[in-house]
Amino acid sequence: MANATNTTDHYKIRDLLLVGLIGAVLYYIGVNYNIPDLDLIAWILAIIIPISMYKRGLDVEKLKYSFSLSFLSIVSYLYVFMVLLLRLPGIPKAISILLTPIVVVSFVYSVDTYLKKRKTARQEIKLPFSKKVKATLYSLDTLVIAFLVIGTVMLVVFLLAPVLIMLWNAFITPPGTPFYENFKTIFTTRKYIRLITFGESPWSFQYIGDEKVLVITGVNYGVLLNSLINSVIVTTVATILGIIVAFVLARYRFPGKTFLRILALVPLFVTPFINSYVIKILFSASGPISIITKNLFGFAVQIDSLAGVTIAQIMAFYPIVYLNAYASFLNIDPSMEEQAENLGAKGFKLFSTVTLPLALPGIAAGSIIVFIFSLEDLGAPIVFQERRLMSYLIYSGFTSETGVISPELAALGFVMLFLAVVSFLSIKNYVGMRSYAMISRGGRWKPRERKLGIKGLLVVYLILLPLIIWTAMPQIGVVLLAFNMMSPTGFYIHPEQATPTYFLELFQNPNIFIYIKNTITYALVAVFIATTLSIIIGYAVSRVKIRFITSALDALSTIPIAIPGLVIALGYYFFFATLFKGTPLDPTSGPTVFQAWIVLIIAYSIRKLPFVVRSVFAGFQQVHVALEEAALNLGATRRKVVFGIVLPLILAYIISGAIIGFIYISTEVSTSITIGSLRSDQAPMTYYMKNIYIGGQLAGIQYVAAMGVLLILFQLLAILIVILGLKQSYAFIGA
Amino acid sequence: MTRIKLENVTKVFGNTIAVDNVSLEINEGEFFTIIGPSGCGKTTTLRIIAGFELPEQGKIYFDDQDVTYLKPYHRNTAMVFQNYALWPHMTVYDNIAYGLRLRKVPEEEIKKRVKWALELVDLEGVEKRYPLQLSGGQQQRVALARALVVEPNVLLLDEPLSNLDAKLRVEMREEIKSLQKRLKITTVYVTHDQLEALSMSDRIAVMNKGKVLQIDTPTNLYFKPNSLFVASFLGRSNVLEGRVTGTLDNSMVRVYVDQLDKELIIYTHGGIETGKVHVVIRPESFELVEDLVDRDNIIEGIIEDSMFLGDKIEARVISGPAKLTIYLPNKTIVRQGQKVMLHIPPDRMVALPA
Repeated sequence: MANATNTTDHYKIRDLLLVGLIGAVLYYIGVNYNIPDLDLIAWILAIIIPISMYKRGLDVEKLKYSFSLSFLSIVSYLYVFMVLLLRLPGIPKAISILLTPIVVVSFVYSVDTYLKKRKTARQEIKLPFSKKVKATLYSLDTLVIAFLVIGTVMLVVFLLAPVLIMLWNAFITPPGTPFYENFKTIFTTRKYIRLITFGESPWSFQYIGDEKVLVITGVNYGVLLNSLINSVIVTTVATILGIIVAFVLARYRFPGKTFLRILALVPLFVTPFINSYVIKILFSASGPISIITKNLFGFAVQIDSLAGVTIAQIMAFYPIVYLNAYASFLNIDPSMEEQAENLGAKGFKLFSTVTLPLALPGIAAGSIIVFIFSLEDLGAPIVFQERRLMSYLIYSGFTSETGVISPELAALGFVMLFLAVVSFLSIKNYVGMRSYAMISRGGRWKPRERKLGIKGLLVVYLILLPLIIWTAMPQIGVVLLAFNMMSPTGFYIHPEQATPTYFLELFQNPNIFIYIKNTITYALVAVFIATTLSIIIGYAVSRVKIRFITSALDALSTIPIAIPGLVIALGYYFFFATLFKGTPLDPTSGPTVFQAWIVLIIAYSIRKLPFVVRSVFAGFQQVHVALEEAALNLGATRRKVVFGIVLPLILAYIISGAIIGFIYISTEVSTSITIGSLRSDQAPMTYYMKNIYIGGQLAGIQYVAAMGVLLILFQLLAILIVILGLKQSYAFIGA
Repeated sequence: MTRIKLENVTKVFGNTIAVDNVSLEINEGEFFTIIGPSGCGKTTTLRIIAGFELPEQGKIYFDDQDVTYLKPYHRNTAMVFQNYALWPHMTVYDNIAYGLRLRKVPEEEIKKRVKWALELVDLEGVEKRYPLQLSGGQQQRVALARALVVEPNVLLLDEPLSNLDAKLRVEMREEIKSLQKRLKITTVYVTHDQLEALSMSDRIAVMNKGKVLQIDTPTNLYFKPNSLFVASFLGRSNVLEGRVTGTLDNSMVRVYVDQLDKELIIYTHGGIETGKVHVVIRPESFELVEDLVDRDNIIEGIIEDSMFLGDKIEARVISGPAKLTIYLPNKTIVRQGQKVMLHIPPDRMVALPA
């Protein structure tokens, strides 16, 4: 089947979709007119024709290299599998027939490439296996073997096992029902998926008091679809916004540019819950937008529910894309664009054909982080009280009266994990194949920068500047709230009432300070564990040459980025409830017995491991192997090499990794408020911050804002130490 | 002073054989060079000697001791890496003292030895500097000093000059050679630069695709390569086709060279009595002679064109259907179209079985 790539491609991917569409329509007609044969014909059509198309030459490369298509094919695989497994009828089945050709072709293609590989591998050099093992073991010392074993065991026990135990629980079903009952519930009941709604409008005019308010609530298509719709919209808008801001800031020169660049980073300061709270005020009937609309149109605007969540997440997450896009634009070798200009491309043509495609891998890496963050975010849903989201539903399992989590939530957690990991892996695959933005003759270049004309300046100052200020408003609002300069119920600024009381009371009131103390203690211990683990794993991965072990270790240590925190929380819940039943580590042992702090510390160190690993690993990559071999050659043992040569060399990387880890751990939300809620006196700061909305009681909002300010101070300090002190780059989320 | 012996050594990386059944012996105090194109296995061979890689098959001996399974830190070899591998966080002094400290040498003694080593490489007064403050050539000297200060049994050099500029390279070439002679230390030198190999080595091994093709002295390797690969890898050569018409003794054969329409007496590595051969002649092997005296191995030709290269003249000579590249002393005056007679000494060319 070599002709599939060698000869001209007879068929394109859209032909595959066409075949699927015909099959789906045939099936649907068959169902509606009761012709059972059409079902079979549709399936044959969807399976046989794609195979013959593949044999005659199909544009498979496109399937492999286009990220949307490779993503589609992975999702299709599982979707079709699921539909067949659950025997879902109707439209879901029609869609699965539509997708089958893609599944078939990508399957045949994988088998085909695998067989080809086997063929070449058969010419492998014949050597006794024992000799190969011996040669491999020789290059490992006891220390390296210990690193390998410790790293693997830690990740398997505290990452893989919890997720697997959660999955196992997802298949616990009431007696008399099939093993997939929980998943069937998620995919078939109206609670999760309701395609037909009862004419609820996404917005309506209401009268609050005597004020006319346009209330925008958004749609409700069931928990699963709500989450997906929200995440897709957030990702799309955040990506577009991020690209535009990044492009203008990367490529144009104008007065105030540095100010804008810094201001655009403000939303990256993590202030859980309280920033969503400020956003809620901003979009409330007494917010700045309402003030404008009241004067112009005579009614106020209030954004609530799902729409509120979406807006809050876009404002909070778009800088992740912005940062990635900005770096990508700067990384493009100017000669690439100059060459295109030289050939006659300019303006939008130049941007869409050369600049954007070159920057896309970096942008995609940022977008996928936004997708995952949006999927698992709890801050906005809790503040906007949007319970019809996967994240909220899982969270509510932890706060129920019984404190026992149902298998159905385990299944939901798995669905969430699945969505996140699949999208992460397919993007990673795509980015890996396309990271050509960096390919160019070495050397530094002066980035292309142009002066803005009058029109451009107007756009920047009238649209971009207000936009960036607006997205920085939540953090500004947090500071105002913390010092009592803003009313906690509406957008009323009164600087004359400024007081440091709330901020000071954080440290004076032992009932509040306990949470701060908890957070700092846990974060310090967890960072110590994560850093040690990072060194162990990083060294093993960068120095051991056993492909399958090191790549597995590498993947396991980076994958927590893609694992929603709620899934970790669920996994740890089931892990400790199953394996440590009856001990104080059992989450169901009650709010006075359960030792939440141990579980939290382990969860933190594993969940935020990727951020530390990344920094430490970058350090190891800086150390040329020859530096170690030179020492070995002079008579140093491996232990002396690692502790005497390597670690001192990469100390700056290790410290900055630890600092970044500390920040991510101290601002962690998902496990803190779930595991933490099972033992409130051992809960961290974010748990306290979450409580602002318990029962609609708002008295403590200024304390929460003060905590937000404290967290901002932590982050500022960390950035200053890392960038100025250690001369490293501060790795913002996803950047 | 150590003798190194490799016995049927094979090293495999995944699906490629990096070193293929290599056997070689390096004598005490010898300057032994391994040369070959990139990926030929020369560096892997060196790393096997150093102990960084364990061969899947074969044995390595230092003198009579089997060191195959000995860890690198127990072998007492000293390696100089291509990128010098100086630890950037240590001063020059600490870099050089590192090996001595591991050997628990008293600090007083270390001071003396470091001083000695730096004098040896002609680099004094930089003890307190950090490697990144030094020039490439100076870093090279520090790396050498660090290797030599521990009085290793074997000195291993992995393309140590490849990161230096051309002028410095020539300078260091001479220095390393004279250092080695003075210390009489067994040295294995890996390079892909034929000038380095020819000028420094006592003996050279040419490797390609994991195999050792020829081991010999520079002169022999150059004028009497045992394969077309060796001939073309080291220097330029004229390759002509011919067939053996008779043997004079074990190492000389009569060959009728088709393109020259002439019978020549040519050196051979032995074993050829009949059949087709390739005749390899270096451009320098031709000698301009005045008149056709009664000697063997004289050919006639016409100068097609010539180039003045400074240290020599390169000329293209047409002799029958053959086109030969020859080098002449730079004082020679040749004209285009000039008839010339050229003598080729029998031991300055080689006949290889085709």
